[in-house]
Amino acid sequence: MTDIRPNEPTKPSGAWMLTPGQKKQIEQRFGRYINKGQIRYLKAGHLDVLETVREGVGFTDPVSRRRFFDCFSSAGSFNVGRHNPQVLAALDSALDEIDMGTPGLVSPWKVALAKKLVELAPGDLNRVFFASGGGDAVDGAIKLARGATKRPVIISTIKGYHGHTGFSLSANGKEHYRHYCEPLIPEFKFVPFNNLEAMSAVAGEDTAAIIIEPIQGEAGIYVGSPEYLSGLRKMCDDLNILLIFDEIQTGFGRTGKLFASQHTGIVPDIMTVAKSIGGGLFPNAAVIYRDIPLLTNYVDTNPEFHPSTGGSDLGCAVSLKVLDYLLENKLSENSAIKGERLRDALLQLQKENPKIIKDVRGKGLMIGIEYLHEFMGPMMADALAKNGVFAAYSGNAPQVMRFMLPIVVNDKELDEVIAAIRAAVKDMKTILPLALPAAKIPAVLRLLNSEKVQTVLFGWLRTIEDGINALKGVGK
Amino acid sequence: MKMTKKDQNALMTEFASLFGTGHLKHLKDRGQDVVECKRSGATFIDADGEPFIDCISGRGIFNLGRRPEKIIAAFKIAMLETDQGNFPMISKEKAALGEKLAGFVPGNMECTMYSVTRGEAFDFACKLSRGALSRKGLVALEGSWFGQTGFALTLSTRKDKDDFAPLMPECELLPFGDSEKIREKINRDTAAVFIEPLQAENHCREPQPEYLEAILRRCRETGALLVMDETQTGMGRTGRKFAYEHFGVHPDILIIGESLGAGIFPIAATIFPQSLNAFLNEHPLIHLSTFGGSDLGCTVGAAALDEYARTKPWENAAKIGAHLMDGLEKAAAGSKEIISVAGRGLLLSLELKTPAKARAFCKALSRQKILADTGAVAENTVVLRPSLTLSKKEADVIVAAVKDLVKSK
Repeated sequence: MTDIRPNEPTKPSGAWMLTPGQKKQIEQRFGRYINKGQIRYLKAGHLDVLETVREGVGFTDPVSRRRFFDCFSSAGSFNVGRHNPQVLAALDSALDEIDMGTPGLVSPWKVALAKKLVELAPGDLNRVFFASGGGDAVDGAIKLARGATKRPVIISTIKGYHGHTGFSLSANGKEHYRHYCEPLIPEFKFVPFNNLEAMSAVAGEDTAAIIIEPIQGEAGIYVGSPEYLSGLRKMCDDLNILLIFDEIQTGFGRTGKLFASQHTGIVPDIMTVAKSIGGGLFPNAAVIYRDIPLLTNYVDTNPEFHPSTGGSDLGCAVSLKVLDYLLENKLSENSAIKGERLRDALLQLQKENPKIIKDVRGKGLMIGIEYLHEFMGPMMADALAKNGVFAAYSGNAPQVMRFMLPIVVNDKELDEVIAAIRAAVKDMKTILPLALPAAKIPAVLRLLNSEKVQTVLFGWLRTIEDGINALKGVGK
Repeated sequence: MKMTKKDQNALMTEFASLFGTGHLKHLKDRGQDVVECKRSGATFIDADGEPFIDCISGRGIFNLGRRPEKIIAAFKIAMLETDQGNFPMISKEKAALGEKLAGFVPGNMECTMYSVTRGEAFDFACKLSRGALSRKGLVALEGSWFGQTGFALTLSTRKDKDDFAPLMPECELLPFGDSEKIREKINRDTAAVFIEPLQAENHCREPQPEYLEAILRRCRETGALLVMDETQTGMGRTGRKFAYEHFGVHPDILIIGESLGAGIFPIAATIFPQSLNAFLNEHPLIHLSTFGGSDLGCTVGAAALDEYARTKPWENAAKIGAHLMDGLEKAAAGSKEIISVAGRGLLLSLELKTPAKARAFCKALSRQKILADTGAVAENTVVLRPSLTLSKKEADVIVAAVKDLVKSK
């Protein structure tokens, strides 16, 4: 395996290289002042790389000099690519003029961004309030729903992911994130995704809102079927329930359309956006809602129901450029085309490796591979990292790996990514003969699938491997 | 950037149609329907070309003044090299700001969790307390205002809370100043007690030192954590680095708000000791934030901390704050309009008779080219929280305006 991949950094290496000793120092500081457990966790999956020369579709590990394709994109934040020069230029010139501005005041930047968002948003999603990030946006959306309808119940989906602040965590469908913080806000109910009957059994006259991701991300990339989305729309219309689409991960071209809802034409009552709206440079988020009396009357009588430091003047200047860039470069279309190619390649890989890959799902450049067993997720992360692909398994489903490249990816880069995934699957096949027979024993499978055991086990394998490499005099 | 009246009106109309007419009315009622153009120090120029003194400071964001040069310069250099980074990853920027914060904050709190806004930082403090102690109870001193997210809202004192009910269970308010209630409300099920050392939105009400000590003692007895939200009071605002230093009571967890990013980048932080980080070491990545701990944000935060350490703006806040307080008290003395003046350093509050009078007072101040806001808890108050770089001359302008208003009534 060569160290430098063709997706090469443009800067001379002297400017960014680190010695293993320097990296160790950073880790020690990080461990002391931020978190040790996080390092242990990342090390186990070969994800303990530092990111330098962040450009286009990847970054470089300053120690190994290995170039990585960024298939995580900070959970879908880098749609316009890492360190996008045009967005940077917009931020740079905004910094010559303005600052964050006073929250809540009228400003040309806020108005311009809000106007652009409602122009691009489907249907009569004509009104806006800003938020500081995804969680804050979801909290705002849920407050709006409860405040406007005067109903308590919020229905979310099992394994649905909406954030970590009070309301958004209460709507988070994964026990792991909620467990230590409970009791959370009451009257949140959870039903299986893509299941209209289950939803219909729970939805009623006390339901304020149904909140879903049109394509579930963290849960393991499950695409909401057109029948499901239209069924939800009808159910909400019949029962006067508000439909909230959380497009924080799916928005801004990720799925091959500007917003994932546009695949089906189903318009939600409230839509939350964040992540990529900040261009990977500056935090921003928004809640866009329908111009209907139920919602507008509530906001007009309660203008301060969710004030935020989000929608700062600097943030809006950046987001405006992000939207221009997405449109000018037809990135949604690029995401659709490249996504189809990647999906075809992965389906082919599945056909060749039915004992490893169980399913391939997704839309545009939001694609997930599901492995046969949970423990394969971290193993594959490791194998991919060694082949120059940085990809994370889903937080709410470790057997699923998400591939969410920056949607600026070109054909040549995509060829390399596909080749690297192939190589990683091949590498993994060499370890599997050890793990698979053992996995047939239920207790061992449970152990292998436990995140804690993986962290220890893979961390241990990693230490041995580093030792062997040191003896061979390669690597570090 | 000047705008014609016609363009300004068009902007306001467009704003109303996108964000709501209620929002614009809210601003107009307080004289806040101004557009900030050129911004610098404690002031900005509006779209008519008139200089304003900014007494909102983004509700405690612009402590170092509008557009501090050194911070912008540091941001621009960082931008050449880096971006926000993949949020779960190790980075030198996160580590470096963490180390700086550990050195900056008095006491032995040396671990940081980053957020993008105060509510998120507050919610994390609640989650950390519950997780680390395996207890459920959360208690806040009544009259506080902690933010907009789920936990922060539940523990704040605000009228519209029922709109969003039911809220977080096992959350209680401690009646302010009632020593008897301390024992009852804080017990062995209590994970943490949340306090703003000065209730900025509540006429800068502050607990008596003995009362605060009694709360702390009870926390020690029961093992509950004491959390100080210094979003509005910290980073020099009240004449000390942190307001808790006035009282000699140290928190177990500290919340620093957006003043950390100096109005250039939204970043907030929750600071806590290693003993609590043990919980997160055991359960890493249990609390995530895409924008919190952005590598760019951390670089801005580090530059801001250097600037706070270099310029010690708390010294100016103490000095000019005392001068401003003196002037305001004199103005209030001869007036029926202002009932009382409260606060410390450059976090000051005027008490008026009614919320309507407070709104009208803000509007009148705005005509005198001073931007101010009403208190969110005590709506009959006007909060004055200018940049900590405020000069004596600028303070005198504020006093003169208040005097003039009081006289002309």
